[in-house]
Amino acid sequence: MSVLDAPVGAAPGRAANENLVPVFVRLKLTLLRNGLRQSAGRRAAYIASVVVTLLFAAGQLIGLIALRGNAHTGSLVVLLAAVLAVGWAVMPLFFPSGDETLDPSRLVMLPLRPRPLISALLASSLVGIGPLFTLCLTAGSVFAVARGAAGAVFAVVAAPLALLVCVALARAVATANTRLLTSRKGRDLAVLSGLVIAVGFQVVNFGAQRLGRAGGLSALDPVADVVRWLPPASAIGAVDSASRGSYGPALAQLLLSVAALVALLWLWQRSLVKLMTTPDGSTLAAAGPGHEKARKGGSGLAALLPQGRTGTVMERSLRYIARDPKTKAAWVTALAIGLIVPILNALQGTGSVYFACFAAWMLGIQMYNQFGQDTSAFWMVALTISSTRDAYLELRARALALLLITLPYTIVVTVVTAALLDDWAALPEVMGLSFALLGGMLATGAVASANFPYSIPQEGAFKNVAPGQAGLAWISIFGGMVSAGLLCAPAIAATIWLHVADHEQWLWLLLPVGAVYGALISWAGLRVAAPRTADRLPEILAAVSKG
Amino acid sequence: MAGIDLELPAGRFIGLVGPNGAGKTTTLSMVTGLLRPDQGKVEVAGHDVWRDPVEVKSRIGVLPEGLRLFERLSGRELLAYTGRLRGLPGAEVDKRATQLLDVLGLAGAQHKLVVDYSTGMRKKIGLAAALLHNPEVLFLDEPFEGVDPVSAQTIREVLERYTRSGATVVFSSHVMELVESLCDWVAVMAAGRIRAQGTLAQVRGEAPSLQNAFLELVGAGSRATDDSLDWLGGKR
Repeated sequence: MSVLDAPVGAAPGRAANENLVPVFVRLKLTLLRNGLRQSAGRRAAYIASVVVTLLFAAGQLIGLIALRGNAHTGSLVVLLAAVLAVGWAVMPLFFPSGDETLDPSRLVMLPLRPRPLISALLASSLVGIGPLFTLCLTAGSVFAVARGAAGAVFAVVAAPLALLVCVALARAVATANTRLLTSRKGRDLAVLSGLVIAVGFQVVNFGAQRLGRAGGLSALDPVADVVRWLPPASAIGAVDSASRGSYGPALAQLLLSVAALVALLWLWQRSLVKLMTTPDGSTLAAAGPGHEKARKGGSGLAALLPQGRTGTVMERSLRYIARDPKTKAAWVTALAIGLIVPILNALQGTGSVYFACFAAWMLGIQMYNQFGQDTSAFWMVALTISSTRDAYLELRARALALLLITLPYTIVVTVVTAALLDDWAALPEVMGLSFALLGGMLATGAVASANFPYSIPQEGAFKNVAPGQAGLAWISIFGGMVSAGLLCAPAIAATIWLHVADHEQWLWLLLPVGAVYGALISWAGLRVAAPRTADRLPEILAAVSKG
Repeated sequence: MAGIDLELPAGRFIGLVGPNGAGKTTTLSMVTGLLRPDQGKVEVAGHDVWRDPVEVKSRIGVLPEGLRLFERLSGRELLAYTGRLRGLPGAEVDKRATQLLDVLGLAGAQHKLVVDYSTGMRKKIGLAAALLHNPEVLFLDEPFEGVDPVSAQTIREVLERYTRSGATVVFSSHVMELVESLCDWVAVMAAGRIRAQGTLAQVRGEAPSLQNAFLELVGAGSRATDDSLDWLGGKR
């Protein structure tokens, strides 16, 4: 049964359809309350997030009110509304399973008609922290620009209208993409969202610094002139226009937002009906004949890798970096941040060529918790390790797979940083230090993998440690990083000594010495980790199977 | 677990049966070296599992329940990975993998990632991985759980052919009809203990079927449902 062929005459169905809005709002509140009842931790987290959100919203509100009267406030508020709308549109793609009342698959069996259903869903979507935060922002925005009676009238309409457009936009996007989001590919996408946020933060940071230098808010005006005609920013723009006395454009802008709301609701309803009345095609596709694409990735590479366990393990590790969303996210984040930090600092003239060591360090972290990255599939490895030699080969192959990416990457980042700072003289010593640091990270990473394994939950972008193992993860990573620093102390001390004692003509020696030293400590680390791994197979399996 | 004393004959099709939570998975994990027992001794083909892992691990094949596979590999890649980790030469792995994929009906999906496989397909690829190095003893934890009848029949045929060659299969299940039709030797577990072990006839005893014998052994008589639920199926 579905929304379309629901029994029309049945009394319970009709009664339900008439009073759907309060039912759904109550349902949403109940789900919220029951969710909080589950654990004190969840309650604390929720209350904390409410407080933080409200403080943030209050801060924005005060900021916007303070901006009242500034010449560029109009530009700022429409851009703010646009950013808000983008946030609402993107959010459901990354956090698909946020809201149970809104999950259409749970409503399929109920005799509900589309139109009352949409109103009820929209109403229940308005309950929550997100909408509250958005309302604070839109209210602050209209207050910042509204002047005179006309401005006030437009403001009263515009603030809730902008919120409704945002919410309808989020629901329309989510519903249209439900099939994608509930499929494996969609869940993979959600896991990568952490990456978007990490890299996005760096970009925003960079952009804000550029803006600060470019002469403040007036730089926003050209962009704002376009954005003020795009819903939902046009609703806020309408208040600005009305306050300036241009009532025609104000009305047009407001109507644009209303039209957008109607269109979004129509789209939402259409995809909802389609979703609830047609069979899910995603499993049909999965049952069809396999595609050949999966084969291509590694077979060329496999021929170049050594035979035996070494090549086999390297190949699988490399395939996982390319295919496993969690591993891929960790790697891409490390690669991006490892590049961004030294190079952005160099570009801004605040950097030092020694920042290039950061890349080696960032990538070295990937050696930590090797077996946790396998999840419970580690049993397949455990069943084939029957001696210390097997364990050594396994760990060495994983380190080699890592080096295959890390080594050229470290060289490139170091060379690029030196080129940007035009400090070629320091290149050999920095490269040598990077190699030593990389060796230290590989050594301590292998030892930490054997001694402090922990589970990595496969769902969700922000959970990288299973509940109850956070302490273990901290010991593993921070203890390991401090140890890696200590292991590199001789190389660092040699660098300092050569500088202080004015033997700078010998600094190039640090390149070969650092490389050899790094290789030696990696080897020693693998040697220490191998017997521990071979002895602790069942314990490691138990530790990594909690995700 | 409260002490398991179990001696399984070689070259047989052995069923380990028991209700949910009886300790079947725990037992199989300890026997295969995936879980360390607090005390006691486990021997497979005359070799101690914990003292002599080199001898044991090369002789056994395992299909655990509730543990993942390397699911971001395709079916064929998973078999190549397992076979080469087991030390088989590449060409031999390729040959065996092709045959196993063929027999198990996975040839069409061999280049698809295991993460996109159905439950039955996962069990079959897991079984192929466990058989690839031609082990002497095969341990299968719930190999028929969630498997459709067609796949179940395929798995069954492969296992029967395998035991005819003199190899031993130990599998756990709570489906008595299946155990009765497949196995010639049965061990019954409940609440972490072995309640009975022996040939199918010995364990069944006087009871009309293994199901009846099993219910009696684990102490679960049929509950009287006459008084309660009297509205169910009544006047609507």
